[in-house]
Amino acid sequence: MRRRMIWGYVFIAIPILWLLVFSLGPILFSGWVSLHRWDMITPVAEMPYTGLENYDYIFTRDNVFPKALGNTFLFAIGGVTTNVVLGLAFALLLNTKIRGRTLWRVLYFLPVITAPLALGVIFAFMFNRNYGVINNLLVVLNLPRQGFLNDPNQAMFVLIAIAVYQYVGYYIVIYLAGLQDIPQDYYDAARVDGASYWQELWYITLPLLRPVMLFIIVTNTIGALQVFDLVFATTGGAPANSTMTVVLYMYNTAFKYSRMGRASAMAFVLFGIILLITIVQLRLFRDRTTA
Amino acid sequence: MLSKRPVAVLLILAVLLAGLAPGVMAQEPIKLTVLTHWGEERLLVAQQAMIDEYVAAHPNVSIELQTVPFEELLTRIVTSRTAGTSPDIYHIYNLWLPEFTNGGLLAPMPEDLAAWVSENAAATSVVGVTYNDQLWGVPTEVNTYLLLYNKRLLAEAGYSEPPKTFEELVEIASAITKKDETGAVTQTGFAAITGWDSGVVHPFMALLYSNGGEYFNEDFTEVAFGNQAGLEVFQLYQDLLDSGGMDTSISGWDFPNGTVGMIIMANWWRATLRASENIDYETEVGVAPIPVGPSGTESSTLAYNWLWSVDANSPNQEAAWDFVEWMNTPRGEGEPSPMGNFLVNELGAIPSLLPDQAAFAEDLGDHFLAPFVASTAYARQEPVIGGSQEIKSLLQVEIESLFTGMTDPQSLIDYVVPEANAILEEFRAGAGG
Repeated sequence: MRRRMIWGYVFIAIPILWLLVFSLGPILFSGWVSLHRWDMITPVAEMPYTGLENYDYIFTRDNVFPKALGNTFLFAIGGVTTNVVLGLAFALLLNTKIRGRTLWRVLYFLPVITAPLALGVIFAFMFNRNYGVINNLLVVLNLPRQGFLNDPNQAMFVLIAIAVYQYVGYYIVIYLAGLQDIPQDYYDAARVDGASYWQELWYITLPLLRPVMLFIIVTNTIGALQVFDLVFATTGGAPANSTMTVVLYMYNTAFKYSRMGRASAMAFVLFGIILLITIVQLRLFRDRTTA
Repeated sequence: MLSKRPVAVLLILAVLLAGLAPGVMAQEPIKLTVLTHWGEERLLVAQQAMIDEYVAAHPNVSIELQTVPFEELLTRIVTSRTAGTSPDIYHIYNLWLPEFTNGGLLAPMPEDLAAWVSENAAATSVVGVTYNDQLWGVPTEVNTYLLLYNKRLLAEAGYSEPPKTFEELVEIASAITKKDETGAVTQTGFAAITGWDSGVVHPFMALLYSNGGEYFNEDFTEVAFGNQAGLEVFQLYQDLLDSGGMDTSISGWDFPNGTVGMIIMANWWRATLRASENIDYETEVGVAPIPVGPSGTESSTLAYNWLWSVDANSPNQEAAWDFVEWMNTPRGEGEPSPMGNFLVNELGAIPSLLPDQAAFAEDLGDHFLAPFVASTAYARQEPVIGGSQEIKSLLQVEIESLFTGMTDPQSLIDYVVPEANAILEEFRAGAGG
């Protein structure tokens, strides 16, 4: 028995070691770097200690970080809200006996498996002011051409639209799995009591989909707050930093300006924000579920 | 008992082997890795041919060529250093010298090679590869910025000569811009390459110098474009936008498509222009000095350099410098070096080394390159100081803000100057993250 227990610990030790070395280790190292000045060229042992200077800088003197943070929140709120609502709407539609249901599911899922970089480039063409298909459509509808990705007031919303296009298919699949888990008996009983479609949706579907929604909101929020590749490929933060996000700014700070300490401080701030938001989301949903 | 004869033979062999020992040691296998940003298939083939030639003459040396796109080069250099997988030889942009040398990334140059470079490179290139009074590598391509113009579009707008002043630039640009009935801009008079710091800031610097302005003050403690000369350049952009002579919905990258009248761009674009099917390189592409601003007296421009450097941690520094020297040494009297050959024939670039410039005098004298070569005599080298890259990005974003109507010339200066000075101060004080 004791021998079997030892083997158990041995097997558990492998993933734990993996986690410590490749997850916890870099996080701790990053935290340590955030308290130093480091250009990634100077040997680690010679990094000058700067205390909380990097944190002080990004909160009190850095003009781009607050803007990047605001842009990131806008992207997350816009993207998550749209994905939650649109994903549910499409999932409800695809959960009916609509013709070609499997085909529709495949079509919605296709963008999920497309590289964000490729999508970014294609959408940049589609939203071009002079020859983009979207603007040509606006002209056909007698509407004025728009700057879209060239317009600082519109660029972030275009990015949200692209992100929703890419990921809504994934959330549809998650919603569909949740919908198919709801026992048909509940709907049958509600119909006997004369419930309308909207009453079924409000009193049966939505409450029972709460865990699925929680998963979607939490994972989508985390992903949206870390957005990088789409922005990098489509706008690079332009025009005028209107699409600069925290992770892109972190990348520029680290690799373009060789300020790894400051970039690490940003990473830690973002980590704290994501942690806080996730805890709040989990608490909110858990309280409602238990109420 | 051994006979005397085999013993004698063995002794002779032993003596021979002992005599050969230093030679054997010298022939120890050496592996060098070279990192460049020339990743196109055509350029890879040319670089490999150069390497093969060197390796054939140095059988103990093997060379691995690594390439990454330009936008990833800096990241690769820095991360490979952190990971302990640095290449032995880098081809780098001179603006990175402050960070690289202060961090101890680059190996000092052998004195004799440094002396040879000082004597055989164009003066602007020697300045370009110098930091803290020390040369850090062999300069390769030197690039300057001039006004490229589409002769056909200018002629259609009624102009036979390119603009010589800021005022003429605005006038001609607005005459070229065209829109169709749906409001789509079909061609723009002047364009910038946005989304890329050099694409925005280098033309600004060229215009600034041609307006009698300075980018930094003499001791590099402050930026110097927050004055009348700088304001006039920002105002030029504003005037171009207001007059319709510049429309940012058409990128400067569209110049080879024949939809851009004028752009301020570097000579390395030659290969792209020659390959374009929408603009005739020989008859339509014109090159002119940067227009002179109201505060300027004569045209000037900006130059920047690339250089071969060696990693300070390389265990094969001697061999690495030997390869760099071989690449840049003329093959004979009046002949180009292998690198000069690569730069001119494959890249269409201007070599920094004077023997290469002399060997390719005819090629460098074509209608496109000749003005660029001439400009190396008066071009101002991009200042190589700590914080330059960060200031460049800051200025890029703010000029793009001007392009999109989010700021105006004076507000731009009011914001950028103190921010840029704070960056310089941080680098001087060795502070920041």
